[in-house]
Amino acid sequence: MVDEGERAAGRGPDRRDDLSSLRALIVGPEQRSLAAIQSRLDDKAGRAEDLAEVLPRVLLQHAQDAHFTAALTPPIEKAITTSVQRNPKPLADALFPVMGPAIRKAVAAGLASMVDSLNRTLEQAVSWRSLRWRVEALRTGKSFGEIVLAKTLLYRVEQVFLIDRRSGLLLQHAWAEDAVVEDADMVSGMLTAIKDFVQDSFKVASTDSLEALKVGDLSVWIEPGPYAIVAAVIRGSAPSGLRGRLQEAVEMIHLQFGGVLETFDGDTSPLADAKNTLESCLHAEFRADERKPRTRSTWIIASVVVVALLIWGGLRWRDSRHWAAYLDALRAEPGIVVLSADRHWRGFAISGLRDPLARDPQSLLAAAGVLAGDVRAAWTPYYALEPGLIAARATTVLRPPTGVSLSVRDGVLSLDGNASMAWVTEAKRLAPFVAGVVSFDAAGALAGHAREAMTGVQNQTLLFTRGEASLVPGQETALAQLTTHVAQLAQIAGVADQRYRIDIVGHTDADGAEESNLSLSQARADAIKTALTPAAGAGVELAALGEGSRQPVVVSDNERDKQRNRRVAITVTLIAGTGNQGR
Amino acid sequence: MIQKKICMLGGFAVGKTSLVARYVTSLFSEKYLTTVGVKIDKKQVAVDGRDVTLMLWDIYGQDDFQDVQTSQLRGMSGYLLVVDGTRRATLETARQVQAKAAAAVGEVPFILLLNKSDLSAQWEIDEPAFFKLAEQGWHVIRTSAKTGEGVEEAFMALTRAMLVRA
Repeated sequence: MVDEGERAAGRGPDRRDDLSSLRALIVGPEQRSLAAIQSRLDDKAGRAEDLAEVLPRVLLQHAQDAHFTAALTPPIEKAITTSVQRNPKPLADALFPVMGPAIRKAVAAGLASMVDSLNRTLEQAVSWRSLRWRVEALRTGKSFGEIVLAKTLLYRVEQVFLIDRRSGLLLQHAWAEDAVVEDADMVSGMLTAIKDFVQDSFKVASTDSLEALKVGDLSVWIEPGPYAIVAAVIRGSAPSGLRGRLQEAVEMIHLQFGGVLETFDGDTSPLADAKNTLESCLHAEFRADERKPRTRSTWIIASVVVVALLIWGGLRWRDSRHWAAYLDALRAEPGIVVLSADRHWRGFAISGLRDPLARDPQSLLAAAGVLAGDVRAAWTPYYALEPGLIAARATTVLRPPTGVSLSVRDGVLSLDGNASMAWVTEAKRLAPFVAGVVSFDAAGALAGHAREAMTGVQNQTLLFTRGEASLVPGQETALAQLTTHVAQLAQIAGVADQRYRIDIVGHTDADGAEESNLSLSQARADAIKTALTPAAGAGVELAALGEGSRQPVVVSDNERDKQRNRRVAITVTLIAGTGNQGR
Repeated sequence: MIQKKICMLGGFAVGKTSLVARYVTSLFSEKYLTTVGVKIDKKQVAVDGRDVTLMLWDIYGQDDFQDVQTSQLRGMSGYLLVVDGTRRATLETARQVQAKAAAAVGEVPFILLLNKSDLSAQWEIDEPAFFKLAEQGWHVIRTSAKTGEGVEEAFMALTRAMLVRA
């Protein structure tokens, strides 16, 4: 074209102008626009303006594009790193307002998750379900954690391998916290070998490859990329959406590390950052906690149980107190000996000895607040030796007349009140047969009789004929009465084990010699003693004594007074046995 | 960390598996060899101050190497070629294997292991044959599964060759 031009130019200026105008005519507009484009390209300020115009649009439109984000991340990271290295202050200043809330939020989230896990742990520590799982763990020899995982896990990505497609070498590996991880290098190799084996064995198209392996509840999902594959070991049944996540991971890794992967020759260190992408695939989903509503009912049941236990415990405590009060009452009761007292699941059991005359133990229940139906009692009869019970027993045997009461002290049965001679005599005969009665003291019951008899004897005076030891006519009646009273006294003495002494003292008047008076007075006393002796018996002692004229009733020469001095005076004294007169 | 895939190749019953059994970390049992056709072990070596993890693909030996899947050789950085010194035929197999491996993955370092050196009295492979191999530039090491002779040396030599090449 240039040569042509030169040749054309050699032929004259006119022709050249023509050509120029022709060129201007034909390509002029394009030339101008080319020049404009050129100048715009050269104008850096203008280009910057253009870029400023389109860049926000690009950022807005492609913000969701993973490739775009991945491409932007490294330079931004680098820029931030450089900025911080150079001077951390601007970034610190910029971040300061958000740091506080972020930290608070993180702390709150941490606490919430801690409480949540605590709740879960507690629930699993105490629930029936966990008890069942513990039994299963014991039975199958698996750990409790494994059982819990198996029962509550919907699915979990336990391990993710990034494997070099050609050599099967492990490039990166991420695993869930408590997953069982074998030697990942060898697993990676073997997985590749198996993948190849399947592909080779079944002659599938080279574009197809093994996508998943499944053994029991464990499956391996394989997602191939041009240079590397991602293999995820999953426990449980994962949703198909997980496949998309694995694909994204493969794409992301190829985007980030495509060059490294393509020329991989055994050095895995440049791929360290791929681990983050792999970790983002470690997903787990647990069964929706269907126990939530049940948790409430569990709480209600637990509360009811607790309240019931409290009530039951309270009632049992109250029953115990009542029972103790009942036992105290029984122990205080004469004629009852508690030998054993036990509390059973339902009610009480008691056994012991009981005097038939003691209070009925049943009658004490109400006062103590114990229900009669709750008590099984076994009482063996016996004779109690408490004084009260001996007295009661004696009362049933002797049946004392009204007004006579029995009491026992140191084994001695005493009577009080007025009883007939006949009854006392019978009582004395029977008393030794009453268990617990050692001896019998009837004096109390006979005190009245004794007083009466003694009064009939005491200070009686019998008058005698002058100079003789014979009674004045008319004194026989008095002697007879005296004799009767002495006989009564003797009977009382016999029953009440008493001894009386009756002193019979003879007297004379002052006439005559004192010597003869002495013998006369003695004779008079002897005469009365002789008369009384048959009535006196063993319990009454008779003593006769003559006093002569030494103790005149009255000193006088008057015949009537002299007659009063010719006498025998009688006195009576209780000399042995309880008198009981005072009572 | 450096990792390398290496293969153990050779004819049937030349003693590949038992040769390395004592020197590698195993996770899989030998039954994989007969089922999947390969068993993978791991061997850690330190060469010139560098730690290298060798992933050792023990490939099921067949005298007719045509059946071996070349896909298993893919990505290997080197291999051990095992020959039973008491059986001349295994050397021929090794030649075929080497050719096939070179075709599949290109020229990578390998070492010929003349196994069963403890039975040298019964050897069928004679000195001239060795020289011929050496002339071809083949690195030959005598090994014995029984005494362990040459095994560590073979791993070290192969690793060194692979690293030099890389």
